Amino acid sequence: MSRLQLKGVGKSYGATKALRHADLDIEAGEVHVLMGSNGSGKSTLSKIVAGSVRPDTGEILLDGKPVSITGPQAARRLGIAIFYQELSLAAHRTVAENICLADLPSRGVFVDRTALEARAAKYIALFDGVTGDDFSPDAVVQDLRADQRQLVEIMKTLAGEASVLIFDEATSALDRAQVERFFEILRDLKRQGRSIIFISHRMDEIFAIGDRATVIRDGEIVGSRQIAGTTPAEIISMMVGAQEETATVADAAPARPAGPPVLSVRGLTGPGFSDIGFDVRAGEILGFGGLHGQGQSAVLRALFGANSPTAGSVELGGKPLHPKNPRATIRQGVAYVSGDRSRDGVVSGRPILENVMPIHYLRERMMLANPSALAAKALPALQALKTKFAGLGHPISSLSGGNQQKVVIARWLIDRPAVLLLDDPTKGIDLSAKADLFSLIRKLAGEGMGIVLYASEDAELLDNADRILVFNGGAIRRELTGAARTRFNLYQAAYEAA
Amino acid sequence: MASIEAPARPRSSSAVKRAFERYPFLPALIILVVLIALNGWFQPRSLSLVGVTGLVKTYLALMLLAVAQTYVIYAGDIDLSAGAIVSLVNVVIVGVMAQWGGDGVTIVAALAIGLATGLACGIVNGIVVAALRLQAIVATFATSIFFTGLALYIQPVAGTPAPTAFWRTYGGRILEIPFVFHVVVLFAVLLAILVRTRLSLRLLAVGDGQQESYQSGLPVTAIRMGGYALCGVFAALAAFCITGDTASGDPLVGGKMTLFSIAAVVLGGSALSGGYGTVVGSVIGALIIGFINSLVFFVGTPSEWQNLVQGVAILLALMAGVLVGRRARA
Repeated sequence: MSRLQLKGVGKSYGATKALRHADLDIEAGEVHVLMGSNGSGKSTLSKIVAGSVRPDTGEILLDGKPVSITGPQAARRLGIAIFYQELSLAAHRTVAENICLADLPSRGVFVDRTALEARAAKYIALFDGVTGDDFSPDAVVQDLRADQRQLVEIMKTLAGEASVLIFDEATSALDRAQVERFFEILRDLKRQGRSIIFISHRMDEIFAIGDRATVIRDGEIVGSRQIAGTTPAEIISMMVGAQEETATVADAAPARPAGPPVLSVRGLTGPGFSDIGFDVRAGEILGFGGLHGQGQSAVLRALFGANSPTAGSVELGGKPLHPKNPRATIRQGVAYVSGDRSRDGVVSGRPILENVMPIHYLRERMMLANPSALAAKALPALQALKTKFAGLGHPISSLSGGNQQKVVIARWLIDRPAVLLLDDPTKGIDLSAKADLFSLIRKLAGEGMGIVLYASEDAELLDNADRILVFNGGAIRRELTGAARTRFNLYQAAYEAA
Repeated sequence: MASIEAPARPRSSSAVKRAFERYPFLPALIILVVLIALNGWFQPRSLSLVGVTGLVKTYLALMLLAVAQTYVIYAGDIDLSAGAIVSLVNVVIVGVMAQWGGDGVTIVAALAIGLATGLACGIVNGIVVAALRLQAIVATFATSIFFTGLALYIQPVAGTPAPTAFWRTYGGRILEIPFVFHVVVLFAVLLAILVRTRLSLRLLAVGDGQQESYQSGLPVTAIRMGGYALCGVFAALAAFCITGDTASGDPLVGGKMTLFSIAAVVLGGSALSGGYGTVVGSVIGALIIGFINSLVFFVGTPSEWQNLVQGVAILLALMAGVLVGRRARA
């Protein structure tokens, strides 16, 4: 009998099906690997098991008995512990407090500090020697490095002493020695008969620790394999699926005659990336690929001046560009569109017209404005994107997500920038708006603009980018051009050990 | 080519840094010491036993209310009704004492009823904010109007006197030591006990991130309600002190104190966003406000200028606290 069984579990967010009808068995004493590309549904599945997401359909069985996991507390009581990819630590609390936070040792209403420290010490000791300097039970979590925080989250997960443990990308910031130690601990847990769900994007790790692998694609379970009887190539094929044949559409992204470089980047280094170098030619769409958070957004934001690089040089149209702040780079002709509309794009609660004009104000150094003259400039920009709106005076919140993003992009079309940086611009917008956006982007490139496109959906990259730079661990690992732009190559480059 | 160099940052010695990180109220403490020195400079008598007793008598209520506010702010919430709870408890206990005579037993009973009233108000806030998930700032603004309305219903005008035994005790001495110092000691013991509770730690964890705390399996709603309940109890204690100090019931007595209590928390180095702070800092913050007010008086500021000077002084104290803290931690 399986320790944990999922039967027909599904979850939708609005129109997006994050997980459809998932069936999965996890045995006792097994490390079960979940594989899948960005947004395939692995994290949703993990969170459903851990109780922090409620499924729409399906049932979950523990040791053959159907259980209702009403929340994270209920999951803990059932013996399920989870390592959250985005971590669940309290930044101002100490390492020891965080490890024991979910189940504080107490005497009456008081925290039993002695017991707390003893319990924390037990889990800290597991990583003795690999935690690095400045790591102590009373270190405050916010002062720790990324890998040390990840270790604390691992210790916190282990402290749940659960029979089912989920590790959702628990190794992404760890170094070799830390991963080795973590794997020793996992093998130990396995021997104790605990069940482990393990998610990682490092192929070598999966083959080092996994017993079975299940591949998820677009929210659906594709199949399971015994690790001993499979190969990395087979796993990647399963992740890619039948889409391989249609992946590269050569005529959708024809090799355009490349003009002179409009943007040259050399040795750019900053938080989250190092030694990045590339050229973007006029009329070229350069794609940034790879898994989430490998430095693609950080590079684009650094070029825009939104976070500061520490070393390197940038030239825009042959002239040096100092990306000190967005105001300076905008005036020199850099445009940046973020997929996070609410944080970086939309001026919420303000009319559409005001949302189109800020860049024009800035570049023209305008102090006073005449609304009708502005409207004459805004309308063509909005129409170029087929934006649907009732009137320029209506608040931007009256529009759908896709149309809001069109308004944000229209902002950059009044005064043409030399370079357009697109940071996952289609996040959360519908298919037809996506099609409109990409046809505009290709048109802009055709008119000689240099475009850098980071897309978390691989199809968008394969269909639109002339060249793709694959990022891994904050560096460019591989360049895919021409016929090499296939989904298989993209995955292989992205999943190679960093 | 444009090159970008990483700026070299001067680092202060790590022992100082560590001390400031561990005790976020250190900048406030430095400001307080400066203020005490200034008070002594301009009016040596202000640092006499009588002078200090008077100051503690007047500002004990604010210290307690700042502590009340701190527990809510720990969790990233806020209580704009704290002052209104003080008013309500004030008129309730004065009303009960007046109704039942004014002897020792009724005073104790009235105080028990006052504590229950404060607790009930805190629970109401907790339900509204944590369980019904209304925005804390607006929801507690609304409950503040509600609590003030209740207070006005109970006692429409100010002036009902508190029994003599009550305020004589508050202003008097026990074993030759002013009564308020006994209260301060009890208060310190109470805070020392509360710091060690599970609730304190969990409130701070919730303030660090509600989502993270929920995902870790903490009962977030119950914890936030606990913070509001504790706030209500401390607001009631603050009301006892104010009743002892003013010796009467006034349905609007606490209204002005709400924002002072929040200012005291911030002066004490706690983060309004939650997750970071100390109750000691809030007590120091309340004392800073007290010493600023008395200093403004002692330097002989004309009465029409007093508010302006007070405001500027509090702003300066806030800035000094931020600057000192940033220097030390950089």
